[in-house]
Amino acid sequence: MNRKLIAMVVTGAMIASMAPAIADDTRTVAMICDSSISDGGWGMACYNAMIDAAEKCGWETMYSDSIAQSAYYDTIVSYCDLDVDMIYAPGNQYTDAVLQAAEEYPDIAFALLNGGADTPEKAANGNVSSLLPNATQIGWIAGALAGLMTDSGTIAFIGGMELDTTRAKYAGYGEAAAFVAGENGKTITLLDPVYSGDFSASDKGLEFAKAMMDQGADVFFGDASAVDSGARQAIDEANEANGEITVYDIAQPADLLGQNPCVIGSQVTDNSVLIELSMKAVEDGNFGGETLFGTLENGVLSAGEVNTELVPEDVQAAYADYIQQMIDGTFMGGAAETEAE
Amino acid sequence: MGSFISNLILASVRMASPLIFLSLAELYSQRAGLVNIGIEGIAAIGSLTGFLISLITGNPLLGVLAGALAGIAVNMIFAYATISLCAEQIVYGMAINIFAPALAAFIYRVYFGSGSELVQAGLMGSLKSMLGIKSNNFLVNLFLDQTPMVYLAYILIIVTAIYFTRTKSGLNYKAVGEYPKAAATLGINVIGIKYLSCVICGALAGIGGAYLTTCYSKTYVDGNVAGRGFIALAAVIFGRWSSGGVLIACLFFGFCDALQIRLQLVNNTLPYQFFQMIPYVATIVVLAAIGAKKAGPKSSGQPYRKEER
Repeated sequence: MNRKLIAMVVTGAMIASMAPAIADDTRTVAMICDSSISDGGWGMACYNAMIDAAEKCGWETMYSDSIAQSAYYDTIVSYCDLDVDMIYAPGNQYTDAVLQAAEEYPDIAFALLNGGADTPEKAANGNVSSLLPNATQIGWIAGALAGLMTDSGTIAFIGGMELDTTRAKYAGYGEAAAFVAGENGKTITLLDPVYSGDFSASDKGLEFAKAMMDQGADVFFGDASAVDSGARQAIDEANEANGEITVYDIAQPADLLGQNPCVIGSQVTDNSVLIELSMKAVEDGNFGGETLFGTLENGVLSAGEVNTELVPEDVQAAYADYIQQMIDGTFMGGAAETEAE
Repeated sequence: MGSFISNLILASVRMASPLIFLSLAELYSQRAGLVNIGIEGIAAIGSLTGFLISLITGNPLLGVLAGALAGIAVNMIFAYATISLCAEQIVYGMAINIFAPALAAFIYRVYFGSGSELVQAGLMGSLKSMLGIKSNNFLVNLFLDQTPMVYLAYILIIVTAIYFTRTKSGLNYKAVGEYPKAAATLGINVIGIKYLSCVICGALAGIGGAYLTTCYSKTYVDGNVAGRGFIALAAVIFGRWSSGGVLIACLFFGFCDALQIRLQLVNNTLPYQFFQMIPYVATIVVLAAIGAKKAGPKSSGQPYRKEER
């Protein structure tokens, strides 16, 4: 009798504790990420973007980070089973898992950052949107600074995985650096891209950077999350050994000036704008089937603060001028604008 | 070309160092008849503990010590289950590989909350920097631009070689891994040595993990052990269960890893995945060539039951 009574009391307490949650109509977004949200790079910036957007829209947030590739789909489905309103997957590598889950959960919105422009069309239920920062312009922002700052004429790029967006960033980085260097009487050698194979191997970033510095690289840009942190560590160590900072790094996608002494500037992507637009679309009931582009023109992309101690004033001015040209669509004579779009 | 080779050698030594600790951990375990495939997990907890203590105290050496203690603590689960309960060693090793990294991730999240700031801890200085040497000569870099932990790794190789071949205690230890019942009849405390092996294994695996965050990388990232625990298993077989062989195996695997990084830079015609396969293909080839002639402890992987006839 006592046991039955206790069981009834416990059950009642459980139902009572659940009641506010059931009644609560606050919307929820869940983020999955294969790198850590404290990686000092991609994961961190994407997480902060979600938090910023959620605060503005009054949404709740959930996240799972450092998940393995084999767990992409299972993690997404776990959140879908919790009845979240939107899944936020920050990376091209989640495309297959997102499309599969989106087919099985037609009432949930899936926002795929860096998804392909044609990905929403592939979703059977029309509940997927791509948030697509312009990867070529991202490369330009870093490349222009690299072209201005390199002394050796050799610049480097470190990738995590060989994604379409990563290749586009590499290409943009190289062409902007070559153009800017050419205008300033320099010749650029862009080392072949290297890939760590995942976004967590900070030790690989360290080794890549050491190997690339051995080949004369003096400006680095990366698209590899914690791998970039490892690269910056190697650059800092080399600079410390030299007694002066002669090798530089350009960070992305947040303004990371001050995180490491070697950082001379950042390419900033304000993904929160794109996530906020997605949240509003969910609230208005018209989410899905579209690609939201992020560009320099609409303010999603920008150049972060420049390290005034390492970047001479005239270079700062020249860089600001190039960024303005990119915004105006006149960079490289405007010829590359079509390609970037 | 000269610079390519010298930098390749330096990178090989750098990348082999954590492997040496992990491989020695496995060697001590297997020499007592315990196949511990949970080295990867133990190293993960050692890596986090080393990072946290190094960050809190500002002393990487304390971080290494804490990593060793954490490794011992986790490996005691394996020890109790496999020695006292005679449980299947492979199953418990795998359980540790699942449990320990998850525990490390959990502790990290509890300690740092869900903040997204990059946390960086100081690294142990190299002997070169301690002595204030500025030279960038290859030999100076090879022999002096290493942290004290690297020297410890090589000292442990020598000590282990002497211990297993030149001391009575070492021969008793090996006897436990070969014929535990015969060893017991000679008055050797088989259970005691097996527990001791787990203490040594846990400590070395924990140190190997802590090396990654106190001597190599300033940040802790989940999964930073990155399969080194499994490569250590292969290194012990490759090294024919001897410390000298283990050293050669670790240097070989370090070389393969360093080579694949550099080959990505000089060759853009092949996909990068091809180069990333090199360490693993080398492992398979070497094991296929060497593994045929088994030279490991005879009672490896078998539970020891005192009462069994």
